[in-house]
Amino acid sequence: MIELINVSKTYANGIDVLFNVNLNIGKEEFVFIVGPSGAGKTTLMKFMYRDEVPSSGKVIVDRIDVAQLDPSHVPYLRRNIGVVFQDYKLLPRRTVFENVAFALRVTGAPRSTIRRKVMQALELVGMLSRANAFPDELSGGEKQRACIARAIVNNPPILLADEPTGNLDPTTSWDIIQLLDKINRRNTTVLVATHNKNIVDDMKRRVIALENGRVVRDQLLGGYSV
Amino acid sequence: MFSNVEFFLVEALRSFRRGALMSFVAIGTITVSLVIFGMFLLLIVNLGNVIGTVSSKMDLAVYVDKDLSLEEAGALQVQLSKIAGVERVDFISRAEAWRDFQKEFSSKLDLSQILSENPLPHTFSLKIRTPELLPLVAKEVSRIPVISEVRYSGQLIAQIKSLVDAVRIGGVALVILISFATLLIVVNTVRFTVLARETDISIMKLVGATDTFVKWPFIIEGVLFGVIGGLLSALILKIAYEAVVLRVSSALPFFPVVSNKFMLTFIYLVMIIGGTLVGLLGAYISVSRVLKSEV
Repeated sequence: MIELINVSKTYANGIDVLFNVNLNIGKEEFVFIVGPSGAGKTTLMKFMYRDEVPSSGKVIVDRIDVAQLDPSHVPYLRRNIGVVFQDYKLLPRRTVFENVAFALRVTGAPRSTIRRKVMQALELVGMLSRANAFPDELSGGEKQRACIARAIVNNPPILLADEPTGNLDPTTSWDIIQLLDKINRRNTTVLVATHNKNIVDDMKRRVIALENGRVVRDQLLGGYSV
Repeated sequence: MFSNVEFFLVEALRSFRRGALMSFVAIGTITVSLVIFGMFLLLIVNLGNVIGTVSSKMDLAVYVDKDLSLEEAGALQVQLSKIAGVERVDFISRAEAWRDFQKEFSSKLDLSQILSENPLPHTFSLKIRTPELLPLVAKEVSRIPVISEVRYSGQLIAQIKSLVDAVRIGGVALVILISFATLLIVVNTVRFTVLARETDISIMKLVGATDTFVKWPFIIEGVLFGVIGGLLSALILKIAYEAVVLRVSSALPFFPVVSNKFMLTFIYLVMIIGGTLVGLLGAYISVSRVLKSEV
């Protein structure tokens, strides 16, 4: 589903973030990407939804080399990849419903479809009762649920979560990971970048560890550290 | 597609209201620029009108001694028509001239109070074949003894015409300059409204919005600025111009002010359409630039 071949990234200011990364993530896998801050986790994910372009190498998502993708096709790529952010990135002056609906609006879906799909997504994440609340009225966990609802409302085959529990307390973090696991079991490939040791250890899933821009470990049923 | 159009309109209005101050600045700028633009258009049109009026009077007015009889005048008419370059000679008797004069000005002046008798001489109006012949013919005519005065405005016309041409070229240049300045200001004003929503735009793009989709609400907003600015400026200019016309026509009744409804409507329409285009183009350039720097 996702393949990285000899991917390296050097920023314009000369700082190297990734060296020669090779990865292969299959359909419907659940993968943790772990490592200290600055290891390159975020950059790795940004390649996949083309928020960054590698300096060299190939990033293949669903048989397409994303690095070579024409900019005009990028929006269509992104409609097939749900992204969950540590800071939620919800539009502040819109309700939860409108925020989730936004991801469908941009596709030009008819109003009735939007309504139905948004309700389904909100139900899945347990936010149906908060549909008309604004982001500042929500707790951190609720914001993250809204963000996840927006990420999955298009039924994308891939869900990327960059530090989804970074701002949440342990109990809420656990709820969010359970939710991501539930989405994974609905046939979605899920990648979670995190440095939350407890969660990675408890989940016992495939773990890819990054350190200083290199893959230092790729282990099935792994823990946060060896 | 319909749901999109509706969405774009709602978004544009939402942004319009949210950035009330920005909207006010943008509309104000467009309005002021368009008023100046329209003022120049009106000035040019009026100058053209002056020239047109003056040029149509490209003939020689020949005044004869006041005591010349009608018979003598008839003989003179024949003599005048034989001069080379003269196309036609019209005779206006003093009585006729007086009547016309009274008719024209009786509403504005009570002549009988000022003048007790007809002060006008017999007049010949000579149509000359080409303007260049005017001075020659004038010289020839003035040699005839009974003629008291020959009047023509050839030189004056040429001078006015070159002046008007200069003003016209300058005016067109200024109008282009003003349009360009307005566009720049709109580009920058809309840029602020776009930058204020940079986060929104980046989120829109992250969830898969195309550039076109992102652009539409801003473009609609820009058009809204332009239309409102255009309407306001046309209204301001219309009121101001009507006031000026009223003043001028009572103070300088001879001055040919343009008050042709069709022409004025055309100018106001040009302003409204100009405003709309400036708003549209300004928003388009601005949002395109921000989007380009985003990726």
